Amino acid sequence: MATEMEVAENLKIHRFPQSKYIDALRWVPSLSAFDRFLSLALHDPDSDSSSIEIHSLTNLSNNPTLQLQSSWSSSSRVSSLRVTQNPAKTLIAASTFDGSLHFLITHPVKVSIESELSISDKNFHIGPISGIDLVSSGSECVTVGEDGRVNLVNVGDSRLNYKRVFDSQGLVSYTAAKWASPTEFATGGLGFSLQWWDQRKPGGAVSQFKGNWAHGSTSGIVHSIDIHPSRKHVCVAGGSSGTIFAWDLRWQQQPIFLSGIGTQEGAVHSPSESEVWEVQYDCYMQSPNISNTSSARVLPVMMCSEDGVLASVEQGEELTEVLAEPCAINSFDIDLQNPSDVICSLEWESIAFVSRP
Amino acid sequence: MPGRVSDSGDSLVPFSPEVRDPIVYHLQHGLKPPISRLSISWSRGNCLRVSFFRPSSSESDTENSNKEIGGKVVEVKLSSGDEEIDDAQKRKIAYGSVSPFALLQNRKNSILALSKMSMNSASYHVEWWQQVTEYSKEINSLLGNPKAAPTSVIEDPRTVVKTVEEPTCLKAAWELMEIFYADKQSHAWLPECLVDWLADYDSLLSATEATIHSKLVDLQKELVNLQAIEDDPRYWEGISSALAVGWLDIVVKLLRLHGSYQVDQLGSRETENGLVEAVAVLVSKMPRMRPELSRRGLGECFKTKPDFMKAWEKWRGHIAKLDCSAFWLKCDHRQTREGLRNLLQIMLGNTNSLTTATCNWMELYISHFLYIRPFTMGLEGMYSLAQRCMQLRPMSNTHRLMGLILGILGENTEVVLAECSREFGPWMVAHAIELLTAGSNQAEMLLHEERYNLGGISIEELHRLVYAQVLSSHALTWQIAPIYLTSCMKQGMGLLEILLYKQPVQHNRMLLKSLEICRLYELDSISTNLMKIAGIYHWKHGRKGSGVFWLQQARDEVRLNRIAQQLFDYVGKSISDDSLKQWEGLIELLGSEAKTAGGLEFLHKYRDLKKSLQKVQDGKASDAAKQAVESLILLMKNPSTPQRFWLSLMHDSLKLLNWREHPLLNVSQTNLLLNKLQELSIARLRPDFCESNLPPQALSTVRLALATNLGRAILEER
Repeated sequence: MATEMEVAENLKIHRFPQSKYIDALRWVPSLSAFDRFLSLALHDPDSDSSSIEIHSLTNLSNNPTLQLQSSWSSSSRVSSLRVTQNPAKTLIAASTFDGSLHFLITHPVKVSIESELSISDKNFHIGPISGIDLVSSGSECVTVGEDGRVNLVNVGDSRLNYKRVFDSQGLVSYTAAKWASPTEFATGGLGFSLQWWDQRKPGGAVSQFKGNWAHGSTSGIVHSIDIHPSRKHVCVAGGSSGTIFAWDLRWQQQPIFLSGIGTQEGAVHSPSESEVWEVQYDCYMQSPNISNTSSARVLPVMMCSEDGVLASVEQGEELTEVLAEPCAINSFDIDLQNPSDVICSLEWESIAFVSRP
Repeated sequence: MPGRVSDSGDSLVPFSPEVRDPIVYHLQHGLKPPISRLSISWSRGNCLRVSFFRPSSSESDTENSNKEIGGKVVEVKLSSGDEEIDDAQKRKIAYGSVSPFALLQNRKNSILALSKMSMNSASYHVEWWQQVTEYSKEINSLLGNPKAAPTSVIEDPRTVVKTVEEPTCLKAAWELMEIFYADKQSHAWLPECLVDWLADYDSLLSATEATIHSKLVDLQKELVNLQAIEDDPRYWEGISSALAVGWLDIVVKLLRLHGSYQVDQLGSRETENGLVEAVAVLVSKMPRMRPELSRRGLGECFKTKPDFMKAWEKWRGHIAKLDCSAFWLKCDHRQTREGLRNLLQIMLGNTNSLTTATCNWMELYISHFLYIRPFTMGLEGMYSLAQRCMQLRPMSNTHRLMGLILGILGENTEVVLAECSREFGPWMVAHAIELLTAGSNQAEMLLHEERYNLGGISIEELHRLVYAQVLSSHALTWQIAPIYLTSCMKQGMGLLEILLYKQPVQHNRMLLKSLEICRLYELDSISTNLMKIAGIYHWKHGRKGSGVFWLQQARDEVRLNRIAQQLFDYVGKSISDDSLKQWEGLIELLGSEAKTAGGLEFLHKYRDLKKSLQKVQDGKASDAAKQAVESLILLMKNPSTPQRFWLSLMHDSLKLLNWREHPLLNVSQTNLLLNKLQELSIARLRPDFCESNLPPQALSTVRLALATNLGRAILEER
């Protein structure tokens, strides 16, 4: 099924057409030495059904193939998907447009879905959950929504418990969330805003950032946030108008731009002019010795966008384009076990697997 | 049936009068009878929405109908009946054809622009042909690749017909169009192109009746069971049929399975074997007028007509010589003798032999090209030959590919278009028109002419619009419809606007995708309207922040001012010091510029006042207090501050008015506040005044505080 294409820089690209829309996708860490695993959140508008599927990616060296391992059908469309990075106990968390949250626990060897825990309480969120994130241990999950609620979900004995961290009652909508440490997390929202939360200081966000560079027409929405484990004071966020910026908690009111057309400087080269759907630190592009690089410099970030760009951007450097598609790239994930490998979901019902040299 | 459209030639979309077998759909509504009313309407795409209504409670037994639901809506997905390609596959083709189509349109426009500038159009013409060929090849590759079956190291000699990926009629049709309209190079060897085409797609014709392909497949199954295959007439039939349509590799392969090749028999059947081998060699040496061999390829290629003629005459000479050879008398095996001589007759172009060896007119047609008229050129000759073959070997029912072939050979663009549309659907027509218009000036004129009966659009535009409509009707393909709509000069943009308005705005992700399309095609007003719709939607669903955000993006001051009034009601009740955290984000969102915030600018200043008041309360003395006074005065001076907040603003600031050390407000400032208070007292008498939820003595407390402050200020200023 996969068609192979060799691009100039020895990238290996394989495409796997699906017959459904891919809402989100993530690598699933595994103990297997040969196969890799992916989880996909799929949606079929014809039957109005949604599901989460686990596929194995086999035969990586010659002719990779995707094989369905396990599937779980969801009551509503998946809005956000996260997977813990612990291969011994893998947890897939998925939030839906209906405002429910589901934890799928997979078998460590077979990588198939074994059990499920969920919250579909009416008071949990009103309307869609727009962003979730799991702490690295997988024991806690933060969920945010356009309803302005920020909830923390705990895995209890065979059930999920949640507590409300904050409720703006719809005055503020949140669109993305990311843990910085077991007690701190960041959220993003409308008007390129970012909030910093600390569980030790309840009652609201401890710090707020509003993109003041945006004047009226060029304002936008933060779609994705990433925080590097070694530099938890820097939040990198991607959003509308090709904007990618870093917010350093130590220099709060001065964002550092990596990309974007709405910026006043105008000097920043922008790989995209439309929505940046996802950003992730690109550990493959990083220099091997992180501690040597100046801590004021933002580490390289990979992004995907509505206008079909998958690229790595670095502060003050030329960007490295990985893919340029005729359709939107809606999400991607870097395999943390093999940082050279990236998967991304394309608008036109297909998945691309990219292996960098 | 009243209102039946008679085919007057005015109909917009070709209408086929033939009635196909009706498809019956069974609906499960699960309601108890009686059903009082039935409503049928179109849903998205090919979905039919059928609503069943039970009688309303007043008409029937109330107790019963309370338990039962009042009705049910069932959606029926109507299929087009074309099961050859499933929906997901169709979408894949649709996605894949976007880039080639867009690229071709781009190049067409730039070539058009260039040719207008300079008169030398010949070079553009050549370039244009290359573009069209490239386009056609790219589209063709989307329709599936008839990949050669994996060749195993040890090939089974008995595998005659290799089963490859099942071909589709759609691909077969596209390839036909490509041969005749897109691939200029192939025109010199059109007959050989058709030979290859039939080799690839003969199996498609066997759906309804026997073909050479189906015969060979049957024969292959038998091969395993047959001991002496040369005794079986089916063996010889198979070989002659394969030879008739030029599948030379199969012929040679089958001939080599002849019993005389077996080691133990070689001695006794030497002459027979010699004859078989001689025929096999002749077959494999057949001269072909083509640049190179196909995968079924055997024979010798010639690129120019004189070379080919010479070789052809020589080859025919060899066959004639073998036919007259004395060895035939020495061949004892009757079936072999007859079978081989029949093969020679086929190669010599004996019409009777060809007719018996083929199953339908198309196969006969191909055999004529190969053995009777290898020099056939020009469509006119090809068309008359086709008609003769149809008389000789009529097909009991017409296959959909046959209609297309006849249309092409008859050089009738309208028939070709109608066949494409009727048999292969809107995708085919919209994309094949590019080949038709590239093919001839006459077709181009026909398809580009603006027609009164089509509402002033051309046939080309009509079919693009139809295809765009199909794309628009599916949630996953609507996003590619704009590519086709924008290539329609007259109606395209209007339909694109309608399409964009129809998209859901509930989820930001989907809204942003629509907005991106607006950005690409510079549809600013639509994008503004979509943002307004989204803003109101979110506002109504309690997501005030999102509502304000989208209305701000749309710069919709009218609505922002209107919702500001509602927000103030909300603020009046809830903006206590505790809830300030909740408001914080919204106020940040508003920014400080009055323009984008509309009447909401007030909230921003209110927040500043609240903040400094909070600091005053925290005991951070006079600096904060001075700031608070400034904010208060700014608010009170600002005309956008709603009157109903005046009292509560002053009441909130009582601490400032009663500042212990020295009066914080000077005389003019105090006077300003007193005037406002006076205005408020008068306004109170009006019937539309709305009372704040402050304690009843608030007014007098504030008045007293102001009076005291005024007194102190006067004293101080002296």
